[in-house]
Amino acid sequence: MGFLTVLKKMRQKEKEMRILLLGLDNAGKTTILKRFNGEPIDSISPTLGFNIKTLEHNGYTLNMWDVGGQKSLRSYWRNYFECTDGLVWVVDSADRMRMESCKEEMQVLLQEERLAGATLLVLCNKQDLPGALSSNEIKEILCLDDISTHHWLVAGVSAVTGEKLLSSMDWLIDDIAKRIFTLD
Amino acid sequence: MSVVGKQLNPVQSNPAAAAASSSAAAVAPGSSNSNSSSSESNGANAAAGAAAGIGISIGIGAGDVKRKEESNVTPEDVLRLNKITDDYLCSANANVFEIDFTRFKIRDLESGAVLFEIAKPPSEQFPDGLSVEDTMLAAAEDLSLDDTADPNAGRYVRYQFTPAFLNLKTVGATVEFTVGSQPVNNFRMIERHFFRDRLLKTFDFEFGYCIPHSKNTCEHIYEFPNLPPDLVAEMISSPFETRSDSFYFVENRLVMHNKADYAYDGGKPT
Repeated sequence: MGFLTVLKKMRQKEKEMRILLLGLDNAGKTTILKRFNGEPIDSISPTLGFNIKTLEHNGYTLNMWDVGGQKSLRSYWRNYFECTDGLVWVVDSADRMRMESCKEEMQVLLQEERLAGATLLVLCNKQDLPGALSSNEIKEILCLDDISTHHWLVAGVSAVTGEKLLSSMDWLIDDIAKRIFTLD
Repeated sequence: MSVVGKQLNPVQSNPAAAAASSSAAAVAPGSSNSNSSSSESNGANAAAGAAAGIGISIGIGAGDVKRKEESNVTPEDVLRLNKITDDYLCSANANVFEIDFTRFKIRDLESGAVLFEIAKPPSEQFPDGLSVEDTMLAAAEDLSLDDTADPNAGRYVRYQFTPAFLNLKTVGATVEFTVGSQPVNNFRMIERHFFRDRLLKTFDFEFGYCIPHSKNTCEHIYEFPNLPPDLVAEMISSPFETRSDSFYFVENRLVMHNKADYAYDGGKPT
């Protein structure tokens, strides 16, 4: 039995998952995190570090990490890759100007070895805004169909209305659970 | 370093939350869901309380600390402790990374109510003119402290709750902290909660890496452990015998040690 097996068995017992929320600044990562955890979302300022939530959800302990997305902070993202089971890539669907850099940053992450085992959930946030691109359009722009290295799902959500947020997260958790907790 | 604050939100009363359940526990900011409580008994909680409010006041103070020099205390050591320490296990100077707690908050997930919140006013975070001690004393004067005699007051928080607090079901405890100019690696927090010599809860969480000059938050959302009703009653009738030690390690070296104590008999006429 290798070290990895031991580790996985340990995690199986604890039923713990580590989920990392990343995306460009102003994508809505913190708002999504707060919305998901039933907190008010009316006064959120740019994250200049991380926000962590640990909670029980559907019988799992989730450790959710939201790390600031400002350009100056992105070089620090790699400090949070270790042991990540799920990567949530948050997109501001109304920010057409930065779709290309959104794609570039995401593709860098997908090549990252330490995220190789992670399930990818792309949340096209701000669907409530007029002029927001649909999740289908964003799927095309980000070339998601070309991804063969990760399990992935794309969903149009709104952190403000809560639309589809819970069901997308549940998909992520289910997918991780199938990979991690059913090895034996 | 330290826990300094000003009472922002003097805890709204929340009869709805208070009426709810039969579970109980001791909590503090920074507690979590890794619940190693040894108690398992269930049952109606006799200590319902008049539900006038959840928490009523808090004392936070300032002070310099002269304690032992560099300690070699390890995470394993503190996880083995079977009671509250008599002393601080590191000096206040051990906080070489300038880790500063700027907010504590407790909310009730059932009702969404914020039960307790203290924060350093933004102007006092990253202070440039004022010394930390001045800032702390200024903040302390806004509170009616009953712990001013304690030279370690800056590392110590006192919580006073009503019995209704012990009726809560699911609670979110948030800490916010800033770090200095150095990156922090393997930042780990271990918190131990005791009622007298009985361990109520251990909490062990690895923050990992912290970005230089960052401001970070961590909320642990957890269910209260079930405590036997007679224990709950005893906790209510024994103010400040529920206590906690919070240990903070960077790369397995103890850099901070804070203490807190708790009363659950608030709301009684004095």
